[in-house]
Amino acid sequence: MSGTQTERLIEALAARAEPVKRLPHPAWRALIWMTLASASVIAIVLYWGVRSDLAQKLGEPRFVIEVAAALLTSMMAAAAAFCSGCPGRPLWERFAPLPFLVVWLASLGAGCWTFLTSSAATSQAFGIDLTCSQLILVLSLAPAAIMFVMIRRGAPIAPLTTAGLGTLAATALAAVGLRFFHAQDTSLMLLVWQFGTVLVLTAAGALIGQWLQPWQHPRLEGI
Amino acid sequence: MAAGPQLTDRAERESRWRDLMESSQQGDQVAYARLLRELLPLLRRVVGRKWRSPQDVEDIVQDILLSVHSVRHTYEPARPFMPWLMTITSRRIADAARRLSSRAANETTVDIMPETSSGDGTKNHDDVSNDRQDLQMALSELSDGQREAVELMKLQGLSLEEAALKTGKSVAALKVTVHRALKAMRASMEKKN
Repeated sequence: MSGTQTERLIEALAARAEPVKRLPHPAWRALIWMTLASASVIAIVLYWGVRSDLAQKLGEPRFVIEVAAALLTSMMAAAAAFCSGCPGRPLWERFAPLPFLVVWLASLGAGCWTFLTSSAATSQAFGIDLTCSQLILVLSLAPAAIMFVMIRRGAPIAPLTTAGLGTLAATALAAVGLRFFHAQDTSLMLLVWQFGTVLVLTAAGALIGQWLQPWQHPRLEGI
Repeated sequence: MAAGPQLTDRAERESRWRDLMESSQQGDQVAYARLLRELLPLLRRVVGRKWRSPQDVEDIVQDILLSVHSVRHTYEPARPFMPWLMTITSRRIADAARRLSSRAANETTVDIMPETSSGDGTKNHDDVSNDRQDLQMALSELSDGQREAVELMKLQGLSLEEAALKTGKSVAALKVTVHRALKAMRASMEKKN
């Protein structure tokens, strides 16, 4: 009978109940990820060399707001990804990066509006810039790999959401890194080729990443 | 008021399960076995609200127990136990529903098998002999585990539970094995024909 089978399963699971290392708090895990991921991005930025006008750009409020919003989006998305792998945590935590994502988008949108209504707006100011997309992809590879190793320790209760938030954290951090060495400041270009790439990669990461978080059940011989 | 004692019971149960889980995380096997046994009636009731067949209910309950075991390190003793358990339970119920709908999409249930000229009665000796050879060939191409499962359940006619006991596999694992084996055999025979 199945009831007997369940009883045998409980006995087998209890026999394998070794002490487990509790998962650290999501905020602590996000901090660990941020440290490791930032180190990889900083290493690449330093290798390629920071942009020559960085000191001047850091004095521009719009640049600072845009970069800070992207960085906070990354941090909150990482924390939300780790929260979504812990059963029983409140659902609102998964929306934590949303306000910062909106501020990031708004800062780019405001820049676009200023540019389009200015006399400098010409058709040559917008074009295809796949370099931005390729650089974001390259910069986000290590942060994404670290993220997926870390989220596999959690419970796959919302694999699509977890993978999406994890990829958003990695790509937003890559976009921050990109602003420090790639001298592309036209808001319309940033909106389409940087922010757009972040969104496309996040969607791709969510779809692919959900398959990287299977339930890892113990092997129970004889049950 | 009847709600008073009921609420106290629930609070007491929550506190007991929280303690048992904390002990289980530290490797207390007795506490863990007790916790899982105490969870059983609740899990059966929750799963039973969505599934009618007792066999399906038991399969899903076993799946939930395995999942609880796999992710028991994600429980924080400072947080309530019931939301943790119910999140896992509802996720596994949803997974089971998805598995069932994909299985239903690949299977057709019929009351009476249609009579066709390909039925055994209308075949000559060579046709039947070829079918048998194809079937044996397809069977021989399976892995040892898949072949054993098909032989026990489809040739010897054992039930899922009996076959599970004999092979040492769980009912859920055996179901998947047989499903994959039959799919592989069908593909192999279609390729030959």
